[in-house]
Amino acid sequence: MKDGGLENKKELENSKKQSKSSKFRSKNDDFSLAIAKVAVAQVCESVGFQSFQDSALETLSDVTARYIYTLGKSATLSANLTGRLESNVFDVIQGLEELESGLGFADASDVNRCLANSGVIRDIVHFVGDAADVPFAYDVPRFPVVKEREGMGSFWEKGEEPHGEHLPSWLPAFPDPESCATQSTVGNGTMSGSNGVKTGLVGVERKIERPLLNCQKQFARNGNLRDSSCGAGDSAKAREASNSNPYLAAPLQFREKEVDVSPVVLPTKLSNEVVLRDSVPENHSGEDQVSVLETFAPAIEAMKSGLCEYDGSRQKNVLYNQRPTVHFKIGIGKKSLNTAPYFVSKNKDIHKIAYWFENSNEKDDRKRRAEIFSEESMECSHEPERMK
Amino acid sequence: MSHNPQSSDGKHDDDSTLSDFLASLMDYTPTIPDELVEQYLAKSGFQCPDVRLIRLVAVATQKFVAEVASDALQHCKARQDAVVKDKRDKQQRDKRLILTMDDLSKSLREYGVNVKHQEYFADSPSTGIDPASREE
Repeated sequence: MKDGGLENKKELENSKKQSKSSKFRSKNDDFSLAIAKVAVAQVCESVGFQSFQDSALETLSDVTARYIYTLGKSATLSANLTGRLESNVFDVIQGLEELESGLGFADASDVNRCLANSGVIRDIVHFVGDAADVPFAYDVPRFPVVKEREGMGSFWEKGEEPHGEHLPSWLPAFPDPESCATQSTVGNGTMSGSNGVKTGLVGVERKIERPLLNCQKQFARNGNLRDSSCGAGDSAKAREASNSNPYLAAPLQFREKEVDVSPVVLPTKLSNEVVLRDSVPENHSGEDQVSVLETFAPAIEAMKSGLCEYDGSRQKNVLYNQRPTVHFKIGIGKKSLNTAPYFVSKNKDIHKIAYWFENSNEKDDRKRRAEIFSEESMECSHEPERMK
Repeated sequence: MSHNPQSSDGKHDDDSTLSDFLASLMDYTPTIPDELVEQYLAKSGFQCPDVRLIRLVAVATQKFVAEVASDALQHCKARQDAVVKDKRDKQQRDKRLILTMDDLSKSLREYGVNVKHQEYFADSPSTGIDPASREE
């Protein structure tokens, strides 16, 4: 039974999804269901209830909504059967009779009755006479709200003649040729100001890209704006649009980064080298590899000048003078040979294997360990460059 | 033929009753708002420019809900009376009338809507049976 339950679970979910989508309730129904809950609660209160279980209220409001829906459906069906699009009062009465037929109503068995004289209507008349007039608690706006859609800017709407007989007038009109040739006054508004040097090639590519983007923006805006006049005036709008809408921003070229690469933050003792460090991440477009030694040269010099300890997560213990500052914690942990598989390059393997099989003194051990540590730290400073 | 004048008069009366009723509906504000009714009628394909029909549907729905609720209320009161008969002196009847799923499912059952909850779920068909009979 248990296995059968698990197997059937997925089928049940699938069938539930299908049945939900094809049937009554859709995911956008929340507002009308909430209103139905309030209305039903008010009716129940007038009957005599003082409080409700949540699930019971939800169930009853759902049943109420289905009641209205079923009533409308049967009325529409009756109208369509007689060749009408619009229902009239007799269709509604027929639908009511169908719904009430479960419990029955007066004169239900009378075959020759007239619908206007139906027992259902009499029951309703009695009800209206007896029931207290309890209006709905809130002001309900008209819903669902229909969005006003602007025209597509068709030939016919613009009053233009289509360019040939093969173009029907209800198609959107062509954009003006001037907008496609708009220069890159839009240009750097979208890019962050901290970007430094760009190579000439990249700049030219950007300029070629810009007119295409303008055309795309035109088409995007034509759906939104009524005034679709092209020209330089739109470049400002395009810039605003692209500033506000990230999806309209220019696509990034290869090797460019719009996101600010956070530079390595050193403790305040090295603050005089911060300026040099900040310039490093910005040289991204032209250079593939920044020389690591150059980057860390000031740090290493500072280290050699006798700095021992740093707080923060970067440093663990008192450092030796020759050790560089930054230990990236990515996959390193303790600097033992066995636990740093990533950072062993091929030409180091033989060296290390030879080390494992050597008999050596403690002092030699320490020396060799210090050497290996410095080598590995050079490697791990290479590592973030690689990992970018 | 002799029936016709009378029946036609009767029909006129019926029609006038109906039309009078529909006109009076515009004075009565049903608890269920018109916008909600229009939303669900539009969903079902119901097309009618006449507002009185919307009101008629709204009133009919309100009547339906009121009937269901009153049936549930009777079930609730019957249950409370049964409890009170056991302990008369100490506890007074719980005055709060709460619409519970239990009462609602009983009253909806008569209208053809099945919202009955499972009382319990069992692992296998033989759960809870005496071991002796299970072995058999």
